Amino acid sequence: MRSYLALELRRSLRDRRYLLLVVGWPVGAYLLFSTVFGAASDRSEGLAPTIAIMIAMATFGAMGGVLMASGPRLAIDRQVGWLRQLSLTPISPVRVLAVRLITAMTLSLPAICLIFLTAAVVKDVTLPLWEWPVLVLCISAGCLPFAAMGIVIGSVADGDGAQGLTMVLYLVLAALGGLWVPEQILPAPLQTVARALPSYHLAQLGWHVAQGVAPAIGDGLVLLGWFAVAALLAVAVSRRLSLRAA
Amino acid sequence: MTQQLSVQRPAASSDRSAISLAVHVDGVSRSYGTVRAVDDVSLSVGRGQTVALLGPNGAGKTTTITLLLGLARPDRGTVAVLGMSPEDAVSRGLIGAMLQDGGMMPGVQVGELLAMARNLFPAPLSIENTISVAQLEGLEKRRVDRLSGGQSQRLRLAMALVGDPELLILDEPTAAMDVEARRNFWHAMRGFTDRGRTILFSTHYLEEADATADRIVLMARGRVVADGTPAAIKNSVGLRVIRFAVVRAETSGFDALPGVVASSARGNRVELRCSDTDIALRALLSARPDAHDIEVSGIALEDAFLSITDGAAA
Repeated sequence: MRSYLALELRRSLRDRRYLLLVVGWPVGAYLLFSTVFGAASDRSEGLAPTIAIMIAMATFGAMGGVLMASGPRLAIDRQVGWLRQLSLTPISPVRVLAVRLITAMTLSLPAICLIFLTAAVVKDVTLPLWEWPVLVLCISAGCLPFAAMGIVIGSVADGDGAQGLTMVLYLVLAALGGLWVPEQILPAPLQTVARALPSYHLAQLGWHVAQGVAPAIGDGLVLLGWFAVAALLAVAVSRRLSLRAA
Repeated sequence: MTQQLSVQRPAASSDRSAISLAVHVDGVSRSYGTVRAVDDVSLSVGRGQTVALLGPNGAGKTTTITLLLGLARPDRGTVAVLGMSPEDAVSRGLIGAMLQDGGMMPGVQVGELLAMARNLFPAPLSIENTISVAQLEGLEKRRVDRLSGGQSQRLRLAMALVGDPELLILDEPTAAMDVEARRNFWHAMRGFTDRGRTILFSTHYLEEADATADRIVLMARGRVVADGTPAAIKNSVGLRVIRFAVVRAETSGFDALPGVVASSARGNRVELRCSDTDIALRALLSARPDAHDIEVSGIALEDAFLSITDGAAA
């Protein structure tokens, strides 16, 4: 199982298109947004804009890393018959799914770390030392619902379909979840939607930590709820992955 | 637990003969929608045998293999592999398989993939050994999604072999190969069976089954229609024909002549498919002096094979 996990991680980190999308894009967006809005004297989320945007873009990048590493890749592996081939080795289907989940979760880290580094080095962002690792941990762990969503998508869609579906989901979660623009500027009905999304609550979690206050229990519960629903769905549809019976 | 230990451990509910068998399929049927892909098939394969599942497309070969690998469950009947369920045999690493629709992990190198797969098995072959048997030398650094058709097929073989399985199940292993690649492939396989391993493979080439298998199981439309040594199968198929015309209108009873496998008649023209045309011709001439315009010829293996499988299903 460990050697399979290692190979899954290695192939992800070797995929340049993937890295450009889930690391390059958020880092670029951070530099753009924090330069355009960073000079503004008003503070968003009770934080300096460079910090608030840093959290938003780290959330954006982490979410993309996880979504793109789970759904589309799973769909392609299913489509080319790799999952079928793998199911003829002694590794159990549960472990295969566990490896996919751990791989996806791990791939939240490159974007978070690079954006934090960029913020610290380029935008002189400073935070109390303990907040950095707590932020990394919170944002990364909070991506669990996205990993489960990816497994659902990878189980039901084919390669191209999963790529498209994941992209749409990614953009909707980011735009409505208040990662690009504050959700307050959205029309009222959309605000209601926004405040139900896991991306919104994940960003809230990060902003709270950066403010040095304890994260709201509610944010964590909403994320857990999303994970529970997505995980149940994943269990229901993952038999389509043509893995042998557990 | 080592591979050998787990093989020899008797399964509580099976009788001793079933344990010593590599494959034991009993009264198995499996339908997909309204199509009965496998229909009441029974099949036993002893350890160390090389068995060919021979039949045209749609005969049920792939479905049988899918059932043997535990990738599908039978609607009726039982499947045991090495004295246990297919799922158990797979999870203990006792089976290696090449599937027609088996793909490889995109984005990784041949060497990386084999090293990873090797780690999943309890008692695998060495990487060097696997690569040399599957003739993948020099391709270790090649990305698996940048292999040619023949190279991909060799990688599939390597993936089937790397766990050093007791039983190799190969679904049309040489389908994409040219003559030389096919010869190399079977040469490599002999090294495998020399160590007492069992091979069950499917093919639709009678020549291939004849040249490589100890035993041929002929399938057509989901059923086993013949089962025996290649020589016996070839005799029952009838590879030579006698064609002639008769004066008397009666055209039945030819099947009973010695050396004749099957007969068919159209008008006053009769065709006999024979295992031995010399014996059949002598018997024919004494039984039916009215036979004339006699013609003896060989028929293509594939034609003979198709005619028997069609006949059996009709």
